[in-house]
Amino acid sequence: MAKKNNVPQYVTPSGKVVTGPSKLNKPKSPYEVFHFINGLVFIIVCLIILIPIWKILVDSLDLTTGSGMRLFPEKFGFDGYVSIFTDKSLLLPLGISFLTTLCGTFLGLTLSTIGAYVLIQWEMPGRTLLGNLLMFTMIFSGGTIPTYIILNNLHLVNTLWVVILMPAINVYNLVLMRNFFEGIPASLFESASLDGCTPWQTFYKIALPLSKAALASIGLMFAVAYWNDYTNYRLYASDRNLYNLQMKLRDMISSSDQPSAVGSATENTIKNAVIITAILPFMILYPFLQKYFVKGINIGAVKE
Amino acid sequence: MQKTIAKERKPLGPRIKKYWQFYLLFIPVLAFVIVFHYMPMYGIVYGFTEYKVGQSPIWVGLDQFKKLFGIVAADATPIQKQLAALKAQPFWTAFGNTIVFSVIKLLLNTGFAVLISIFLNEMISTKFKKITQTIIYLPHFMSWVVTSSVFTLLLAVGQSGLVNNTLKSLGLINESVNYLAQPGTWKIWYYIINVWRETGWQTIIFMATLTGIDPGLYEAASMDGAGRVKKIQYVTLPALGNTIITVLILNLAKIMNLFESVFVLQNDAVRNATNVLQTLVYYEAFNSGAVPDLGYSVAIGLFRSMVGLLLMLVCNIASKKVRGRGIM
Repeated sequence: MAKKNNVPQYVTPSGKVVTGPSKLNKPKSPYEVFHFINGLVFIIVCLIILIPIWKILVDSLDLTTGSGMRLFPEKFGFDGYVSIFTDKSLLLPLGISFLTTLCGTFLGLTLSTIGAYVLIQWEMPGRTLLGNLLMFTMIFSGGTIPTYIILNNLHLVNTLWVVILMPAINVYNLVLMRNFFEGIPASLFESASLDGCTPWQTFYKIALPLSKAALASIGLMFAVAYWNDYTNYRLYASDRNLYNLQMKLRDMISSSDQPSAVGSATENTIKNAVIITAILPFMILYPFLQKYFVKGINIGAVKE
Repeated sequence: MQKTIAKERKPLGPRIKKYWQFYLLFIPVLAFVIVFHYMPMYGIVYGFTEYKVGQSPIWVGLDQFKKLFGIVAADATPIQKQLAALKAQPFWTAFGNTIVFSVIKLLLNTGFAVLISIFLNEMISTKFKKITQTIIYLPHFMSWVVTSSVFTLLLAVGQSGLVNNTLKSLGLINESVNYLAQPGTWKIWYYIINVWRETGWQTIIFMATLTGIDPGLYEAASMDGAGRVKKIQYVTLPALGNTIITVLILNLAKIMNLFESVFVLQNDAVRNATNVLQTLVYYEAFNSGAVPDLGYSVAIGLFRSMVGLLLMLVCNIASKKVRGRGIM
């Protein structure tokens, strides 16, 4: 607490008197030793992050069986990736991953925006009640087995429906969307309804076009969640025919399920190629869309 | 002002009528919440039954919880007491692990994230800073399955195991070690992998706070003769204080949710020693070998939910005290 109080002291005039003029306006030199070491430390940090990924990438393109650490593949070849597209047991999970991600993201965005749009109607009777009904699910849940039993009774277990529908209702994302909508001036909505727009028209002619950035952020959050989903599959849709890429990969690594070697691609090459395939879509998108990826967490941090 | 006037003027009936289209719009959202969140809550009643798969549930009251905690009647024989304690052992291990794993993970991630943010903030070259940020956020977008696969391959005993081969060539170890097959080394690598994946992402919130610091404070500090260390000590750290506490509270509220990160790194050799409550629920229900008693799994899950709820409420109060608003 004492340290905290020191901060404003620096702006008081009495503080300025204490310092000698020699230390005033000391120029920031980029050649200081500190900056050199600091830069070096961060290069090491980046290497720690990148080396594991680089190693997997190299191994996925290498057709030799022995594989220590090399910077580049010894015997270069795309056979590992080719086998993903020729082996049906690998192609199907890839297709399912794409299918569920596309459908799920669309559905998730639809539910989040509609829900958020209704929840910003300040004068609507029951608005608080509906909001609390959603919020409560964030702090208490029935748990995995009750969910399994109920879904089983609804004949949703071991269908693709469960892995598409269930993550689509995400209260956290809905709240983020609502916070964003709250930033839109209410007068815009009012004038639209005065001009004879129905609530639905106001929604897709005013609210949606004004929230493209938020839609991109939240859409990406949904897409990442769907693409990376493993838990819901493992718990509620663990049928081998419904595997997505994550399930397939997990089985391959925990070695209950070995891919058949295709051409000159070894098991190890294929495993590495599947890992790279599982991260590739977002690695390609990420550098271009980084601000949208990062924005989500910031909307949440500023207003919650 | 206008809002209150409008509220006073219009009675409830016409207002409901005015908003009927919005209620209609909300129906799909409500349907999803009810089916996927509220209906499963009804399933909690199975925690008070014995529910063998393929049979109908039998009401047993609190027996599942007694079995869970290892509570026996006062007049039980020593053998019965021992047996009950033995049966309750997996639960207590899992409960302990849930808390220990989450808390250590939280402290490590937050600590490293704060350190990285502070030094990243000192960096002059904005280009280098941006590249660094891009790279350290990267692992967050890899699923836990991918993360565990990457490290399983890196830590492998065979030729492809990068870690073992590097350590061997450095002369630090003689024999390859199967790190993920021993509980001790498994836990260490669990923390390392978590730091690798999450620390960078956690810096976002600290970096946002740091960019919000008034540069005038740093200038004033320089005029007072403060060096880099003093500036970090008296300007940067106090500014981060509230954010650190907020991050700790927000994450503490969620520690009972631990599942996927542990589950995908587990293997048969370390399972019993590294179970957390959620993984125990899974193994009891889906992978226990015998005919599973779903009632027991539901009871574990219910206990977990209740502790989670309690933590949420406590953290909410703490949050209101510290930063003037709740987390919910």
